[in-house]
Amino acid sequence: MSVEIDLTLPLPRFALRVRETLPAGVTAILGPSGAGKTSLLESLAGLRRGAAGRIVVDGEALLDTARGVALSPEKRRVGYVPQDSGLFPHLSVLGNVRFGAHADRRAVEAAIDTLEIRPLLDRKPATLSGGERQRVALARALATRPRLLLLDEPLAALDVRLRDRVLPWLLRVRDEWALPCLYVTHNVGEALAAAAHVLTLREGRVEAAGEPRALLGGLASEAEADSGIENLLAGHVVSHDQAGGITRVRSATGLDVAVTLSPERSVGAPVTLAVRAEDVLVAVAPVAGLSARNVYAGRILSIERTGVDVTLRCALDPSGVEVLARITPAAVAALGLRPGGPVWLAIKSHSIRLI
Amino acid sequence: MGADELRIVLFTLQMAATATLVVLVPGVAAAFLLAGYRGPGKTALETLLTLPLVLPPTAVGLLLLELLGRNRPVGGWLADHGIEVVFTWKAVVLATAVMSFPLLVRSARTAFEEVDPRLVGLARTLGCGPAAAFFRVSLPLAWRGVVAGTVLAFSRALGEFGATIMLAGNIPGRTQTLALAIFHDTQVGRDARAATLAAVTVALAFGTLWLTEWLFRRRARTEGA
Repeated sequence: MSVEIDLTLPLPRFALRVRETLPAGVTAILGPSGAGKTSLLESLAGLRRGAAGRIVVDGEALLDTARGVALSPEKRRVGYVPQDSGLFPHLSVLGNVRFGAHADRRAVEAAIDTLEIRPLLDRKPATLSGGERQRVALARALATRPRLLLLDEPLAALDVRLRDRVLPWLLRVRDEWALPCLYVTHNVGEALAAAAHVLTLREGRVEAAGEPRALLGGLASEAEADSGIENLLAGHVVSHDQAGGITRVRSATGLDVAVTLSPERSVGAPVTLAVRAEDVLVAVAPVAGLSARNVYAGRILSIERTGVDVTLRCALDPSGVEVLARITPAAVAALGLRPGGPVWLAIKSHSIRLI
Repeated sequence: MGADELRIVLFTLQMAATATLVVLVPGVAAAFLLAGYRGPGKTALETLLTLPLVLPPTAVGLLLLELLGRNRPVGGWLADHGIEVVFTWKAVVLATAVMSFPLLVRSARTAFEEVDPRLVGLARTLGCGPAAAFFRVSLPLAWRGVVAGTVLAFSRALGEFGATIMLAGNIPGRTQTLALAIFHDTQVGRDARAATLAAVTVALAFGTLWLTEWLFRRRARTEGA
């Protein structure tokens, strides 16, 4: 399943010009406001007249101007979730989820279960919280069994606390529905958490495209990353230690990590570990007598000055897992850190979130 | 109020209801198209459609008469096909419909303009064609304006005078509505009857508007919005 885009769309200040083949899975689209991100999504959904070129999803052309093909939005089977959720105010939650003309009952039920909105079905959108609305909007899009999912800053309208609550649903949709998905966001942390591929747009052009970590390594340290989560690690639950108040997780790369007791995650369940770069403690000698449950030896790959902070890119021994740590320039000087030098990284169990 | 007066009241209600039915579909369609239309001549078109609101009704009636008189192109063609309009109940319906049309269009157009076009776009991405999107999103979201416009059109039709008297005359038992009967009664000195009929028009108009307000309130409560 891939998405081929070769698109031009004249906009007031510049022309949107995107030529990319997107791999399966989630592609994050980043870029400043007015870069054409929403216009790109609307063109893919068929909501923009004047879009020319070719869009091929899963082998079928949604648009092929050269051959006179331009499917109307209702024939594209593209699920679109706008920033403000765009729920129909005159319909109940169930009415919204069922709205899609191809929505068959099984898809509706599956979407309701994935997003766990069954208790909300009789409510009107006006009575829902922001996070609930976004979940309903996602369910509504999924219920049509789309071939492509377009998410336009689905978390932007939510405050940081709610964002953390909705992000896991997005990851769940990604994992359970296996759809190609374009995800517009301002937030590097979200992109790192959700995407396998990243595009950055500027003035209607693709500025860069590629692997999230390679591409966002530098960006992640800019101001844009303020509420982001820089370190993400996939793994599974190994055991729960009730008395010790910890849950043990082993990453796919073989790293053992202790997190705060999370009995709701069954043993063997896949989880993603999320740690902010500023929550990683850095030492230049083996650490002893520290309360942090997770201490790893590694070495520094690079040191980057990023704004007022410094971001260290470190590789752990022997797994080679990369971890980003954010510290002050003063700390770099005091510890005498240099690329290639050895470090010990400590992470408190409380600083690790499971998503 | 005797049988005669009751007949006038029923006839008036019948004419107003028919006129409202006649303008409902074209009026809502015109309102919807105008709300979405962004091309050249939009203002000219809107002005043209509003014109009957501000013109003297007698002038509108005269225009219609010019169009539909037996010796005129449209009227002649209709007469050839056995359709008499002028000085019949059809003329009453036509005159009141023309006068009511702009009220419906204005009210409904505003309501359609307030529907977020992105919701319509979303309905399209969810599999609705343009017609389905209209009936499932635009119309339900604009229904207040459409109902309000319909009620206004109906009320206007109940009281229409100028255009009706020009096109349909004032023939008791054939084209005489409440408004025409009141005028006629005062002319011939039947002031008491005129007063009675006037009171009936007030009651009718009040009842119609009150019912609408009540409906809106009830609906707003159950919608919880």
